[in-house]
Amino acid sequence: MNRRRRTLLGFAAVAVILGFFPAVQEALDLPTFYVIFLFTTLFWVAQASSWNILTGFAGYFSFGQGAWYGIGVYAVSVLVGKHGWPFMAALPMAGLLAGVAGLLLGMVVFRLRRLSGEIFALTTLAIAFVLAALARLLPAIDGGTGIFMTGTPLPEFLGDFTTAMYLLTLVFSLLTVMAAYLIQDSRLGWGLFAIRDDEQVADGLGVPVFRYKMTALGANAFFAGLMGGLWSLRLGFVTVDDVFNIRVPLFVILMSVLGGMRHWMGPVVGAVIITTISDRLNSAGLADVSQIIIGALLVILALAVREGVYLRMRDRWVTTAAVFFGALALVTLFDINGSLISDFAYAMVATTLAMLVPSGVWERMRANRGGTGGDGPPETLADDLTEANT
Amino acid sequence: MRTQRRRRYLVVILVLALIAAACGGDDTTDTTDTTAPADTETTVPSDTETTEPEEMEEPSGEPIRIGGTLALTGFLAATGAIHQAVGEVFVERLNEQGGLLGRPVEWVLLDDESAPDQSAAAYERLITEDEVDLVIGPYGTGNITSAMAVAERYGYVFPHHTASLTYAYNYACHFSSWSTGLHPNITNPNLIYDALESTGTPPETIGFVVNEFPGTMFIAYGQDGTDEGGAVSLAEDRGWDVVLDLTFPTATSDWAPIAAQIRDADPDFLYIAGLGVNASNIITAMQAIDYSPAGMFSQWPAPGPLLQTEGADGIMSVTIFEEHPPFTDNPDAVEVSGLINDALADAGIPYTKVETQAAASWTAWEYLTQAAEGAGSLDQQAMCDWLLENGADTLFQGHIEFRPDEQNYFEDLSKLKQVQDGDWWVVYPEEFAAPDRSLIYSPDE
Amino acid sequence: MDLISQGVVSGVLFGGLYALMSLGLSLSWGALKIINLAHFSFILLSAYIVYQLSVSYQIDPLLAMVVVVPIFFVIGALMQMFFHAVDVDEFKSLIITFGIFIILQSLIQTVWSADFRRIGIELNPYATQSISFGGVAFPVSQLIAFVAAVLIAVGMSLLLSRTYFGKAVRAVAQDRSMARAYGVDPRRVAVILSGLATSFSALAGLFVAVGQSIFPGLAVGWFGIVFSVVILGGLGNTLGTLTAGVVVGVAANTASVTWGPLSAPLVTFLILIAALLFRPEGLLTRRSVA
Repeated sequence: MNRRRRTLLGFAAVAVILGFFPAVQEALDLPTFYVIFLFTTLFWVAQASSWNILTGFAGYFSFGQGAWYGIGVYAVSVLVGKHGWPFMAALPMAGLLAGVAGLLLGMVVFRLRRLSGEIFALTTLAIAFVLAALARLLPAIDGGTGIFMTGTPLPEFLGDFTTAMYLLTLVFSLLTVMAAYLIQDSRLGWGLFAIRDDEQVADGLGVPVFRYKMTALGANAFFAGLMGGLWSLRLGFVTVDDVFNIRVPLFVILMSVLGGMRHWMGPVVGAVIITTISDRLNSAGLADVSQIIIGALLVILALAVREGVYLRMRDRWVTTAAVFFGALALVTLFDINGSLISDFAYAMVATTLAMLVPSGVWERMRANRGGTGGDGPPETLADDLTEANT
Repeated sequence: MRTQRRRRYLVVILVLALIAAACGGDDTTDTTDTTAPADTETTVPSDTETTEPEEMEEPSGEPIRIGGTLALTGFLAATGAIHQAVGEVFVERLNEQGGLLGRPVEWVLLDDESAPDQSAAAYERLITEDEVDLVIGPYGTGNITSAMAVAERYGYVFPHHTASLTYAYNYACHFSSWSTGLHPNITNPNLIYDALESTGTPPETIGFVVNEFPGTMFIAYGQDGTDEGGAVSLAEDRGWDVVLDLTFPTATSDWAPIAAQIRDADPDFLYIAGLGVNASNIITAMQAIDYSPAGMFSQWPAPGPLLQTEGADGIMSVTIFEEHPPFTDNPDAVEVSGLINDALADAGIPYTKVETQAAASWTAWEYLTQAAEGAGSLDQQAMCDWLLENGADTLFQGHIEFRPDEQNYFEDLSKLKQVQDGDWWVVYPEEFAAPDRSLIYSPDE
Repeated sequence: MDLISQGVVSGVLFGGLYALMSLGLSLSWGALKIINLAHFSFILLSAYIVYQLSVSYQIDPLLAMVVVVPIFFVIGALMQMFFHAVDVDEFKSLIITFGIFIILQSLIQTVWSADFRRIGIELNPYATQSISFGGVAFPVSQLIAFVAAVLIAVGMSLLLSRTYFGKAVRAVAQDRSMARAYGVDPRRVAVILSGLATSFSALAGLFVAVGQSIFPGLAVGWFGIVFSVVILGGLGNTLGTLTAGVVVGVAANTASVTWGPLSAPLVTFLILIAALLFRPEGLLTRRSVA
């Protein structure tokens, strides 16, 4: 069986397992909170994955995740809250509107060839600010009064509110991550990576640079908007300040940098780790500490972990499995409070720390134990050269 | 090579620091009370003197856990801190006086970071994972709205304070401790305008500067399709000329153009439908261009900073409680105010007097505890029914009734207060005015 | 007409403060190739220190200059040395300084709480005084900030063009190895420049504390304006930054008095986008995310 089929089967398996979780939760009388925690994690998985399609694969750093997310939230809120659309009909519009907005931006920005990476980043940031200002200005969108999404009716077959949110988030995040996988594992993905490494060379090699960049940006915006539209329900009362703030843009960067931006699994892993740790810190009452930790994490990660923890986990998979399950076993045995999430949190922290051991030290350890050398496949020729020169 | 090694050491040091920071907090249980200052343990009655001779029995048995969030970080944190301090005083005093239903009370407080979705998630965690017995609302209209939906979903009695969008709250078991009535967009402006007319020299021209925040927009313009009224149209109804009607973004930091427009319009009375330090900043900006309106009103200012602002003398606002007679005729209110003053000072909050926020906070706790005692149990429905039938007797706001046909709201108990001689005094209605204090206003400055 | 002229005057004066807030970032980005988002938190931190000095030691906020400028010069120098130790490129500097910004902002909130802080009237008469001229008021605090901005921008411009140090800075910005060949130590130049840039931010923070109430969330609100000014003015171009500050200030203020305050942020960000798309002068070619 070839790799693609295996991966797709893997997706199907995950879909089935996660899909049945609400039923499992009810049967085993586990706290409903686990379902809520899961769908919150899935939300971030989708946001980080969609962001990474543009920034990680194509190399165009975007500060603008908040813009697409915000368009999605407001598209649904305005259609449902102000014009009485049914929720399920409004959802696809959220994705479409955000996607179109992304493509519009792309048409302007990608045509100007001399636009450098940092300028593109700032432009995306500016777009988010402009959208926020527009939302505040126009009563047709918000005008400052906010929009009530509480009490929006959902189709009966989805079950109660929590289950409905869970199932929808599951479907959308699966779609997003699958899209990221399919993109990476295709000609488009190869082209995007080439663009990331050196756009002019890629162009010279015949990569349809403009078309590929537009696809990446469009995909980023579409999936971000789709998930944003769904999230309007979660927010309940939608206001400009709560939607267009630093949270979404900041966290997707953090999650993807942590997990790794060169592989579609990176943002997934990063999102799971960050959401879990952040949730546990909040529940322990350490929210202000968690802010500082996030800042510190950003700094450390940018310095230390070039390719993200996912790729390292894959290379050091034996250690990963050992540390993760070992820590999990230890914590479960000695645990007092019995929260599964906390147990997983400890295991994740332990594993992440193990991944942070720098490659050089790691290699020396492996060499001493007589293992095979090499730190996994070299990511790019450029990296090889830079490493040789430091 | 040298750079690589240096980098490595740096990384190791940073990682160690990170571990140290993370380990600094206690996270072995999910129910740690997050309050940092002095008495965090609330299950043992203290030996401090209490003026109540009655209930001195120690509370015993399983602690009753009351869950809630507050904006402890983020842009709402300034006022969140007040609610935190007041809640701690309440719980401590409650335990000193025998607890609730004879059991000690524990407040499980989480930080919602001023974000409504965090608030909703935290309440869900508290209810479904920590399985708290009771809940109490967060701070901030958005947070309260989102959290209320969660409480409604699980059928929890939901007392809350200072949620401004009254018309939106339909949950049968929500109880607001901020007595503005259901139509503050009508009753609040009328209070002010009545007061101005009572001076015999009401304004002829009026100017509005409105913060683009849902609550203030509601007060100023009403809610289309839901409610008529709003400060602007009510002023027009009185025959006053509206010479200025500006809306400004919540995040405004450059007040000069607004000040310029106010000066240009030169209203007899300036109505600042704002929050926090909006009024302080606007007044400072007006002073800087040599302008001072004859009279001013600020909807929901942070009281402390306004007292420190030059040119703010004479500005008015609304309140439900102030620390002077006749409000302080009740000795219990005085005693509790003293406790709150100390707690606020300990928390590093500059303005330590009890006024709307602290009073509403205390009242919300009273709803919860009176409901439990009255119903004799922690059954949510029983508590809800009891409150709807009996109302609550509150320390700072007197007797409150919950009228189902008014979405559980009571009357508007707001009073008008004014800055005179460097402090806040209630000046209208007369029955509630501070001794020897009355409203000072004249259009000719 | 009075309203418009008042709006323009305010815009010009505020523009000075905007320029001062942006100088640090502009110099850092233009000459050192580091997009230093931490500058926002430096401005904020300086504002809080000035506030604290007035509260604890009754120091006149303008005199506090003597304290904060040297402190932040040192902070800037140390930060640059840190960057040398870890060898960052532009993109990484964005992430790292963003992290530093988050950390500093959280620390500020932990120490001073999220409550609004304001220097008392007795120590801060500048906030409400003004000089009248031709029917238009010139608020003193803004006037002082404007004058300071002009002096610094002009001074820095002269420094960069006339002095040996200035030439060294420009040489390093253009071609490090050549500069080294001519006897310039790029690291020392960078450290001093970083110190200067940070002290400008410290000064900006001082004027912020004089002009308004401060709270931790203030810093994020500056992103839009500062980036508009930085891009419009040209990286590392001090006189350009000054001009851009004034342009943005006037545009925002005139929009506010003409179309209402809600239009001002829109105008600012549209300027930013226009600047990004049509005038991103003096930048390197796009680098890939590594």
